[in-house]
Amino acid sequence: MNIPAPRIGLVLVCAVLALAAPVLISPYSLRVLILALISAIAVVGLCLAFGYTGLIQLGQAAFVGIGAYTSALLTTRLGFDVWLALPAAVIVSAVAGMLIGAPMLRLRGHYLALATVGLNVTMEIVTKNWTDLTGGDDGLSGIPGIGVGSFDFASDRSFYYLALAFLTLVALIAAAIRASHFGRAMIAVRDDELACGACGVRVFRTKLLAFTLASAYGGLSGVLYAHYSNYISPGDFDGVKAITLLVMLIVGGEASILGAIAGAVVISFAPEWLRFLGQGYLTVFGIGVVIVLVLLPSGLAGAARSLGRRLPTGLRRA
Amino acid sequence: MAQFLQLLINGLAIGSIYAVIALSFEIAYESTGVVNFATGQLVVVGALVGASALAYTHAEIPISYGYTLAVMALVGIAFFVSVFRPLNGKPVVTIVIGTVAIGISIQNVSQLIWGPLPAASVSPVGSGVLRTMGTVVPDHALFVIGVTAVLIGCVYLLLHRSSLGKQFRALAQDEEAARLMGIRVTRLYALTWILVAGLAGIAGVLLSPMWFIDVTMGDSLALKAFAAAIIGGFGSIPGAICGGVMVGLAEILGAFYISSTYKDALVFLLMIAFLLLRPRGLFGERQSERG
Repeated sequence: MNIPAPRIGLVLVCAVLALAAPVLISPYSLRVLILALISAIAVVGLCLAFGYTGLIQLGQAAFVGIGAYTSALLTTRLGFDVWLALPAAVIVSAVAGMLIGAPMLRLRGHYLALATVGLNVTMEIVTKNWTDLTGGDDGLSGIPGIGVGSFDFASDRSFYYLALAFLTLVALIAAAIRASHFGRAMIAVRDDELACGACGVRVFRTKLLAFTLASAYGGLSGVLYAHYSNYISPGDFDGVKAITLLVMLIVGGEASILGAIAGAVVISFAPEWLRFLGQGYLTVFGIGVVIVLVLLPSGLAGAARSLGRRLPTGLRRA
Repeated sequence: MAQFLQLLINGLAIGSIYAVIALSFEIAYESTGVVNFATGQLVVVGALVGASALAYTHAEIPISYGYTLAVMALVGIAFFVSVFRPLNGKPVVTIVIGTVAIGISIQNVSQLIWGPLPAASVSPVGSGVLRTMGTVVPDHALFVIGVTAVLIGCVYLLLHRSSLGKQFRALAQDEEAARLMGIRVTRLYALTWILVAGLAGIAGVLLSPMWFIDVTMGDSLALKAFAAAIIGGFGSIPGAICGGVMVGLAEILGAFYISSTYKDALVFLLMIAFLLLRPRGLFGERQSERG
């Protein structure tokens, strides 16, 4: 495969920055960054379902929640080891995604958007009210951290590298999926469902698989969140969270894995940068999203791409 | 039986409000192609403006209603200029995210203006109740049902029996052709958004004497209206009415007979069932025809 040189340079710079981040930024910013990386895993999943396959998913937070609650319950109630609970929770999220997706993906466009909003709200109602299982609004506390042998990823610095390792792994898997036959099928389904169906792409199966994969990514994100914060409650997976995840993807660039990660980081830090706005933050946030939609329809990744394309010619002229 | 009748009337009242919200949502979608995810926040703004107007005018109901409608018309124009114009013609996804984001902004602005405490309002027909045949029905519930019936009649006449309605439908079918036929498209779009915001505002004003109005309730209201639109079928006035009433009844009867904590989930189950078994709803377009 031919990878353009600027891309390699960009990836290298990102890698060095990512590895050096814990010593470069304040402990508080490090916490925000860890949460950003955890969100980024769910956003990379959304990139598969929405960015590549075109499925509007306004309910990704529900799957993050399913992963988080499954892992939290398995470790606190049934005494599972975290490393056993993690794959179990990811599988539960994926199966839930498949079971929910099978009927729901018969819908398209805004119908699908509405159904996924309904899914997230239903999840919220269930987690708030099924108190015996989920602890209701009080949430679940005392969720153990993650460790290997006698080593515990208890410090923020060590957990940061753990989250970074997971994110890198799942981003590489997503990139491999994108480059595969199935990846091309996803893009084809997004671009023209009828035409690619006529060419023999199994449209429904492609959609369902992409949705299931996205759910698994969401589940993994939830597991890491639960074991990082040691406490989860329904508010962590509500509609606002679901919208935030999609906004991260849109801001980053909807069909780009690096864009998804960049979007997750930018949107996670946005509240910190806009702190001077106080309670008016969300007003600016909403308007900002519309401005990004209008001015940068392909997000940060698209802006970087066109900048990269423009730069060499600009240098030549100068 | 008396109890059932009482629940039925309450369900009908709340269902009529959902029908008005669904109508606002559908008019936006039909005439401008915008799936307006900020509908619920517009309803809340209407309710809060109505409650404030009532307080400032010392409970002069006709004047305060006039104020509320005027403010909502301005909100509609602002929405037209700042949301619709930049998003017009963009893909569905962009519009969905854009209106969701604007909904967040509107909710935040309402919170800054009115604060987080829930507001209550009074009904123009007072807080009396009607007692017949062993049932106790709030006067306001009957008022809501009456107002909604008149309002929906007016919207129907406007859209299907007036030249303006013809222009609306021409615009919905083909913007360019409508423009070539001499229809003032921009003005018509602005008028649509005034109508959309006005209907949402009326729904809010009707709702505020029944429920405490909280700035965060927009999304749950919008979802009920979306459910109503899906059950009734997109783009159909009778559909919006039937859908709204079904959602209202499902909510009130479900809360009483099945579970009050899961009443909202019941509404979504109903919606999902319709999406799967009859995706075009009771009266709506066939989904697959729009590629």
